[in-house]
Amino acid sequence: MKALTGNRLTDGEVVFWKAGAWVERFADAELFESAEAGEAAEAHAKTEQTVIVDPYLIDLIESEGLWAPVSYRERLRALGPTNHLHHGKQAEGGAAIEALQHASGAARSKGRVNLIKR
Amino acid sequence: MYQYDTLDKEFLADRAAEFREQVVRRLAGEITEDQFKPIRLMNGLYLQLHAYMLRVAIPYGSLNPTQLRVLADIGRTYDKGYGHFTTRQNLQFHWIKLADTPDILDRLAAVDMHAIQTSGNCIRNTTADPYSGATAEEVDDPRVWSEAIRQWSSLHPEFSFLPRKFKIAITGAAKDRTAAKVHDIGLMMRRGRDGVLGFEVIVGGGLGRTPFVGPTIKEFLPANRLVSYLEAILRVFNRHGRRDNKYKARIKILVAALGAEEFGRQVEEEWAKIGPESDLPDTEIARIRGAFAATAFDTLVNRSEVFEAAKAADLGLARFARNNLREHKRAGYTIVEISLKAIGETPGDATSDQMDVVADLAERYGQNDIRVTHEQNLVLPHVKLDDVPALYAALNAAGLATPNVNLITDMIACPGLDYCALANARAIPIAQDIARTFADQDRAELIGELKIKISGCINACGHHHVGHIGILGVDKKGEEFYQLTLGGSGAEDAAVGSMLGPALPADRVAPAIDTLVEVYLRERQGQERFLDTFRRTGVVPFKEAVYADAN
Repeated sequence: MKALTGNRLTDGEVVFWKAGAWVERFADAELFESAEAGEAAEAHAKTEQTVIVDPYLIDLIESEGLWAPVSYRERLRALGPTNHLHHGKQAEGGAAIEALQHASGAARSKGRVNLIKR
Repeated sequence: MYQYDTLDKEFLADRAAEFREQVVRRLAGEITEDQFKPIRLMNGLYLQLHAYMLRVAIPYGSLNPTQLRVLADIGRTYDKGYGHFTTRQNLQFHWIKLADTPDILDRLAAVDMHAIQTSGNCIRNTTADPYSGATAEEVDDPRVWSEAIRQWSSLHPEFSFLPRKFKIAITGAAKDRTAAKVHDIGLMMRRGRDGVLGFEVIVGGGLGRTPFVGPTIKEFLPANRLVSYLEAILRVFNRHGRRDNKYKARIKILVAALGAEEFGRQVEEEWAKIGPESDLPDTEIARIRGAFAATAFDTLVNRSEVFEAAKAADLGLARFARNNLREHKRAGYTIVEISLKAIGETPGDATSDQMDVVADLAERYGQNDIRVTHEQNLVLPHVKLDDVPALYAALNAAGLATPNVNLITDMIACPGLDYCALANARAIPIAQDIARTFADQDRAELIGELKIKISGCINACGHHHVGHIGILGVDKKGEEFYQLTLGGSGAEDAAVGSMLGPALPADRVAPAIDTLVEVYLRERQGQERFLDTFRRTGVVPFKEAVYADAN
């Protein structure tokens, strides 16, 4: 399972793709079962240059019956910094946030690799 | 304090207006991200994990209260009510919106500040001794020369596209509070036998993936020849520095490849061609010096009865005085360090309200002068001993009186994976864990000077290589692990630390530090610091203890 993410151009906010639009909560993100669907969305997102910066697909795992990014870096992006728990998206709380906080999968983030290559 | 003239002010206003137009064009899609990225970086604006980050230059770490209040207000208006002081004496805002940035740059320009040359392959802000003009240890005030470098290097067309970024540090005192030996150029002020002022010039130090303590290429450079000599160094670097590989592009790689002697020879050759024409005339140096000479001191005795009585009555003040005050060159005055390392907080962070408090206190007790240290603390360099009790009370009320300067909880930590797009692992929670482990101030004082420096990746913004104990966050198959190094120093006895052993998981780091400290307390002789003991005993007792524990 994958999701598509990037940072919104105007404010840098972490956003996720949902059926042609960008949403702020990971819990609202569109989940791609097939590689083709994800790649098609990514290709489209890359044309939205005035909306999104550097969109990329992330891998997901199951956590507490919900989906969470595999990569720790991506979970931090979806939550906010761990030194200020009232900053970022985690401030909202709730089951979806807790599932992200409890997720334990760990893998390198494709986003970071791309960033270094640039 | 440096003073901008009309030309400077007009330039900053123009530059902010230019960036405003560039942002409009980017948002309208007239320029792509690839075209815009170098433009925003030239204005200090990075895109990080959660938002944009704006790095504001604080020239040689020197601020006045008006400027600090504007930084506080920017934090309050455009960020989340705080700012992060960095190891380069700058300030970063971590929650900035692109669309707000032109307004922020206008606000900065109004108080003679900007974010120019805080990114990019150019000459960055010069690091200077935060005790400049206040310590009796100094040969000369390094701010004078830092300001000369600021004027020379700002927008210098020849040095705006170097092979890689370029950082200079100046210390006027033998006690180095700037990490000069691990900068691209470290300048240590000396006075020659004939009384002439000059610099020992160290080139090619650096941290990152290839750490070096820089070699000295010139034992004594007459101070009035500084600019032409810097120009010669930069020219050799610009000509021969590697542009094919980002990781081998810093001047340290060139100096190491050529050897210090050959590099120095090429600089001398270039310097001879340049001649003294590039140097600042003595009249200009005198003019700059005049701008820093405004501090008026009262004639006092070097003992304040008010202060002594207050210390006797308040153990908290006595502890603060032991750890956070430094000797001033004038009788009856002291240098006050304000620790931004409250136990359990983020190293280097100050809230907007705290910045306002410091600005007020600098006005009231500190001759309008505020400094930022490369160890992420603040300094009021000129405080009367008589005023210390009142100052301490006000700092304490604002959560700014942590009495731990140079102690184990006075750690450097980069923002790490909590914020930074380059990081492999978090640095801040490791610092918080260690601070809680050593929260007992009696124990911290018993341990004495111990510098822990934490980086979230090999780029080493947290200076881990030169920590007495260095901690480097690494990514092991996606998990955060931490490599410990011992025996580093960023001071005048600079050294790169050596690795202790296999990396540890996050929850083992603070216990491992505790073990290292126990070994030190067991082994130390006399007044040895942790670093001295380590240098005497070597790594073996430390390594045995940590890994015996881990097994």
